Amino acid sequence: MRRAGWLGLGVIVVAAPWLVAAAVPRQQRYVLHVLIFTALFAALALSYDLVVGHVGSLSLAHPAFFGVGAYAAAILATRAGWPFLAGLPAAALAAAGVAALVGVPLFRLTEHAFAVGTLGLALVASVVANNWVEVTRGPLCITGIPKPTLGPLAVTTLPAFYWLALAALVAVGVLYRGLTTFRLGRAFHAVRDNEPLAGAAGIDPLKYRMLAFTIAAALAGGIGALYVHYLSVMCPEEMTVALTVNLLVIVFLGGVGSLRGVLVGAVLFTALPEVLRLAPTWRLVIYGGLLLLVIVRSPEGIESLLRRVTGARAGR
Amino acid sequence: MISDVLEQLLHGLTLGAMYAMVAAGLALMLGVARLINFAHGEFFMLGAYAFWFGYSELGLPYAVAALLAPAVMVIFGVAYQRGVIRAILPRSWHVQLIATLATSIVLTNLAIIVLGAQPKEVPTVLSSRILDVGGLRIAWQRLLVLAASLLIFWGLHRFVGRTRTGRAMRAMSQNREACAVVGVDVQRTAMVTFALSAALAATAAALVSPLFNIFPDMGTTLTLKAFAAVVAGGFGYVNGAIAASFLIGLTEALAGSYVSYAYKDAIAFLIMIAVLLWRPQGLFGRRIGI
Amino acid sequence: MRLALTLATLLLLAFSAGAQAPPIRIGFASAMSGPAAITGEGVRWGATLAVEEINAKGGVAGRKIEAFFADNKAQPGEAVSAVRKLADVDQVDVIIGQTHSGACLGAMPVVKEIGVPMVIEACSHPKIRELSGKGGNEWTFRVALDDEIMAYTFARYMARQGVKSSSILAMNNDFGRGAAVAYDAAFKKANIQLLSTEFFDPGQPDYRPVLTRLKRANPETILAVILASDGAPFMRQFRELGLTQRVFSRGSLGSAEFLHQVRDNPKVGDGVVEASYWITGLDPEWDKKWTERYKVPPRIHGSLAAITLKWAVVPALEIALKKHGKADRPTIRTALEEVDVKDSPLGPIKFDANHQAWINMILIEMRDGQLRILEKLPTSPALLN
Repeated sequence: MRRAGWLGLGVIVVAAPWLVAAAVPRQQRYVLHVLIFTALFAALALSYDLVVGHVGSLSLAHPAFFGVGAYAAAILATRAGWPFLAGLPAAALAAAGVAALVGVPLFRLTEHAFAVGTLGLALVASVVANNWVEVTRGPLCITGIPKPTLGPLAVTTLPAFYWLALAALVAVGVLYRGLTTFRLGRAFHAVRDNEPLAGAAGIDPLKYRMLAFTIAAALAGGIGALYVHYLSVMCPEEMTVALTVNLLVIVFLGGVGSLRGVLVGAVLFTALPEVLRLAPTWRLVIYGGLLLLVIVRSPEGIESLLRRVTGARAGR
Repeated sequence: MISDVLEQLLHGLTLGAMYAMVAAGLALMLGVARLINFAHGEFFMLGAYAFWFGYSELGLPYAVAALLAPAVMVIFGVAYQRGVIRAILPRSWHVQLIATLATSIVLTNLAIIVLGAQPKEVPTVLSSRILDVGGLRIAWQRLLVLAASLLIFWGLHRFVGRTRTGRAMRAMSQNREACAVVGVDVQRTAMVTFALSAALAATAAALVSPLFNIFPDMGTTLTLKAFAAVVAGGFGYVNGAIAASFLIGLTEALAGSYVSYAYKDAIAFLIMIAVLLWRPQGLFGRRIGI
Repeated sequence: MRLALTLATLLLLAFSAGAQAPPIRIGFASAMSGPAAITGEGVRWGATLAVEEINAKGGVAGRKIEAFFADNKAQPGEAVSAVRKLADVDQVDVIIGQTHSGACLGAMPVVKEIGVPMVIEACSHPKIRELSGKGGNEWTFRVALDDEIMAYTFARYMARQGVKSSSILAMNNDFGRGAAVAYDAAFKKANIQLLSTEFFDPGQPDYRPVLTRLKRANPETILAVILASDGAPFMRQFRELGLTQRVFSRGSLGSAEFLHQVRDNPKVGDGVVEASYWITGLDPEWDKKWTERYKVPPRIHGSLAAITLKWAVVPALEIALKKHGKADRPTIRTALEEVDVKDSPLGPIKFDANHQAWINMILIEMRDGQLRILEKLPTSPALLN
């Protein structure tokens, strides 16, 4: 897209709360709520794509890092009275810490074992969250998480939260772009595309995989913190394996390894159910069907369609 | 006290047998066809419903309904192979994982829509009759599960070891390219492998459903545990998967009873993680072939 | 161009369709998908049947009712989305829901923010009562009894039966965990020794390990917080293992739904005493209509949703329309505070200062495939002392 196009899109996205209030006044709160979720999901999907799309490790453990960050923020906010601006980095660090800890043994495994190993991790984390009641309150959930404050500013209204989520998305997007271009990006891609060759060229696959894995976990943890401050509750159900499925749908539907693709995937994934308006079980059937169709016919996702349409240069 | 432990051991063996039948099929598909099938638990679930239909709705005798289930699932397995697998087989395993995961979602939710969320009960004569040996109480059905599974594993062993198709399966699992060269019918062998996997899962379902119940989501945890067993046993090595399954079943029963019931379902994965930490290539090493 | 014309035509049609007095819109939120989907299915069935019934009789003061459904997946996060969808997109005038305590607690701040009344049909967390009504959340009302009220009453009944010890087996969700906390406190007050507490994941049917744990703890009784669909495999395995404890239950174990699941051998449920506030037989006509339509016995959550609609919300709508001439959200809320129904199938429905209705508690015994009401206990705030 040309510069002017990007600028125009940027203006629309930032001005969304006003546009929505003007276009659908009675439904504006609901639409904003959906937009906030879209922004958070998009950011989470981008962090996931770092691992899946750019170093080529099919990790299924992302919900665990999201959950660690979310619970860390929730506990610090409700039990230790930490303000949002302190809880957010703490959450990111906690998630990164866990990732660093489990990453070392995990990356020793073959690809397939790695995938199942990360799946096991996600499951164990989920069971622990559900049963370690002393810390997480299990199914009774941690409630009463206050709305975030940014210094003197309190983020209490929906538009304010939308802009916060949008800012987070932009930050993640910029970081994603930075990490996946220049020499670092090329190193990641070398590890993904031809690991033995990369090793021979002096690029340590383990080091780069761990780097992507840990950064992605930190981002997931930070988004978890934002999520709990928005919803004001955190329950174990928010970090189940189902979240991985959602992320896989977004990333692969949109276009694995591509910023634009993942963003489009996130928008479609959160907007589509609103358009479909079908019973929830039918919705899941359609997600599954769509994912199947896309992965079989066009595993590059919608991104490949976009590329063909805009005839643009390769977006990788 | 002793009868208590014995009870748990027997229960663990029953669970292990169920996991083993499912994991064996998964390992076969992985070993022979290099296919990751995340919808494998749905073979089990659909097999259970096929059994229920035959037993409860059509009123067939238990043995007939129990054989109907694998028969139906063989047909389903072939259709699944034609429909989904053929498209994803040549692709990367990432694609396979996601495609079969998507299929699992579709199948599970279609089952909720068509069959309803209310679990189905299929009590049989054997599941209601209790064998009482000096304080140790166990439904006859559990013994049937154990006996049948031993028979099935023996049969599987003979099939893979002695028959032509079995040898072809082993050959494919060792060196696929060479197979085509020496004239092994790769397509047909793959088809037989799927059918066999589906049948194994369905038989396990028909054996175990009378002890528990049948509901659309019953396959999802099972798939994950079966994968845990397959990975711990050494990817694609069938006997390893079976051994790991029994280990998981026994540990679940014993730990669930003596340590913590709430964390029971995490046991399978803790074992798998422990095994992978100790021996990253699985319990039996990186074996070539099934 | 063609798109614009089509849209315009559709809009025109939409507007012209609402020529007569618009129907009153009622939202129902429950778990329509996920592991608790069976409760949402029940709510949907019950709501549909009840709305048809009401509309067949001419509606409420001449106005028809229209039902809208939303899925809260039994999670607080989704409950927020469900409330927003019902209130902002479907523009409902009142919400009935959320069935699950976590979802209720998540939804409460949002209904207050939006300003739409919510009448809770089944959530059992005591906190809901504390947070609602005067001085708290004035937009939430509850018909169901909570675990604190029920636990104290039930524990005292058990003590009267001479029970000295018990173990709790509860679902590992908000309902079960909340109940476990409530019964822990209630047993202490009733001088019943609590020997152990176990949790199980709803939907998983393997109870053998926990049954042997219970056997080892050797309590006199078991307090089971469990639903009918899990209760069936549980009781079968209970009998398989030969346990002899008396089972007291809270959930839907003692129910027609359970008996339907074990119809091959109904004696599996013999002796179970259930504490509840609903049972088949309270409204035989309703039971008949349900069974005819859905071919299975009536289910608790669906029936509760229907009763909440017919005996709490509809009277409020009538008050709103007749006394105040309109049925918008604030008026319905005021009207709910004025509802005073003496003879609903659940007992009296009148919301106190905490917007809690004090319906009857019933103790049910299962024997030989039959359900028998042992005691019908009216409740009041005095019970909590």
